[in-house]
Amino acid sequence: MRSIRVHSVLFARINLRAASLLVPRADRAGWSAEWSAELYYACSARRCAADRWMQTGPLAFSLGAFHDAFWIRCNHLREEPLLQRASPIRRGLILATFAALAVILCLCLPGARQALLPIHAFRGNDLVTLSSAGYAGAQAPTIPLENYLEWQTNTDKLFSDLAWYRPAVKNVAMAHQGTARLSTGIASGNLFRVLGIALPGAPSASYSGPSLILTRKAWRRWFHSDPGVIGRVASIDGRPVRVASVLPDEADLPGQMDAWLLADQHALAQLPRHTKGFALARIRSSAFPAPRGGIRIMIETRDGVPRCFDCISVGWLAWQPSANFLFALLLACLALPATTALPLGDYPSHRGHRDRLAFAVRSRRWFFLVIKFVLVLAVVYPASIALAWGPSLPPSIALMIQVMAAFPALLFGFRWVLQDQRRRCPECLRLLSNPARVGQASCNFLSWNGTELFCDRGHGLLHIPELPTSWFSTQRWLCLDSSWLCLFSESSSTSPGMV
Amino acid sequence: MPVDAKLSHTAAMILQAIHAGHIYGFSVMQMTGLPSGTVYPAMRRLERDGLILSRWEQQAIADADQRPPRKYYRLTRTGKTTLEAAYKRYPLLERMLPSPQSTLRQSTLPQSTLKEQRA
Repeated sequence: MRSIRVHSVLFARINLRAASLLVPRADRAGWSAEWSAELYYACSARRCAADRWMQTGPLAFSLGAFHDAFWIRCNHLREEPLLQRASPIRRGLILATFAALAVILCLCLPGARQALLPIHAFRGNDLVTLSSAGYAGAQAPTIPLENYLEWQTNTDKLFSDLAWYRPAVKNVAMAHQGTARLSTGIASGNLFRVLGIALPGAPSASYSGPSLILTRKAWRRWFHSDPGVIGRVASIDGRPVRVASVLPDEADLPGQMDAWLLADQHALAQLPRHTKGFALARIRSSAFPAPRGGIRIMIETRDGVPRCFDCISVGWLAWQPSANFLFALLLACLALPATTALPLGDYPSHRGHRDRLAFAVRSRRWFFLVIKFVLVLAVVYPASIALAWGPSLPPSIALMIQVMAAFPALLFGFRWVLQDQRRRCPECLRLLSNPARVGQASCNFLSWNGTELFCDRGHGLLHIPELPTSWFSTQRWLCLDSSWLCLFSESSSTSPGMV
Repeated sequence: MPVDAKLSHTAAMILQAIHAGHIYGFSVMQMTGLPSGTVYPAMRRLERDGLILSRWEQQAIADADQRPPRKYYRLTRTGKTTLEAAYKRYPLLERMLPSPQSTLRQSTLPQSTLKEQRA
């Protein structure tokens, strides 16, 4: 018991020293002295029972000092002029913090990171995916194998190279690794040449069968990042395939494949001819310019009938989350006037007005408004991407979730920005305070009724009409000159004596 | 601070403890049973609001007793008025932490009244 008490006093002293470091420098000496003095009495009470000693002894006392230090630090921050509730900088800092958190969340989720930073391994703007169902066809297989086989011979003038793949789920069995059920793309052998991806891993001279390319995601998940997997022979549906390489994360193609089975022309020809898949091609620059989004082309079928297909830029597909967000932004801008008034109020800004606000003051006010809009965008964009693309949902669902999340968030964000701007002093940009209702609605003739707010630094009064009238349609700012300053003083709004 | 301002129960307990003669932090902690992380910030707030005053003991007195100097607290006039107002809100406060005056007052009351109060 005696050793426990000696040690607890020692630890208490260390704790008090650590707690005093958390206290702002100006108050540190005072608090440190008081804690040290009080610790003496906490130690003097050592003759009490052991359980009481643990509850009220020096160690418990010293742990309470951290609570004290936390309270002092919070109070200190609260009294910082920049961090006070009404301060515009505080508002900006809060929004910037949310934006940073949203970006960090996005970067932590692989799917969201890929959507936020669409860096892909496909080189060149001339890479397109062919679709017979418009933009929807870029995410779902629409090109039958027979078309691909035909195009290999009759689209030389349009495409310099053409590849095809179809998604399927296959059991991949490997000795000592068990069987993994992988989403496998059965692809023409030239797929990665068309994509412009150089696969690491030397070709095996002793093996001439089909090759299996694993995505990095599947390699990590199913084969625990084992480098020995590369070069080994696996079995798919009883047929041997050699694991040739592992793809980089950025090489993500529609269909969310775990692996690619590169089949030769003969193996492809054994598939049913109506099997639908994705077709990828490199456009010949002499045929038509590389599309920014998509372009519709006509290709003749074997029986001479021309058919329309869409060439959609693969690079553009990677920017789809951004384009989707812009769509949500457009919707929010269109819907905003239905939720709040757009005018910011009547402020003395025109020339010749007696109390005209200085150019610098007006510029700062507009700058603050623009910064808030930008920060709202900076919060909502990564947050919507994290929500939609983070959980690895099919792209069509992710796009829908992104719009459904971004639209209301942008709408209410912009609404809040406008309302917040209207409640601020145009000179110091601090929130106005002390709202007071003035007048009666029943006495509107030659008078007005509404709410008055004032700037606690005495810059002026804001009159907000209850009912917009022809002579008082919007909120109006009344500048006060320096003779009024004596009436205003910033007072603390905290409740005294409350614990 | 206005006299009729509402005190929290914790703040009222601390005021009452100081009023009852427990005039330094650890003594207030022991009497009220509140932890150190609550008592000291609360006393700072009460001091900020002008309900209590603090002063450091003279070094010479502390040196004579071979101990560190204490920081003593006492109620201000506003503090006393606020505490009296708080008795209406927390009627048991005076009985939980009786002050010397109230003990004296209770001892002069008839036995029957004391029994009623205890009940």
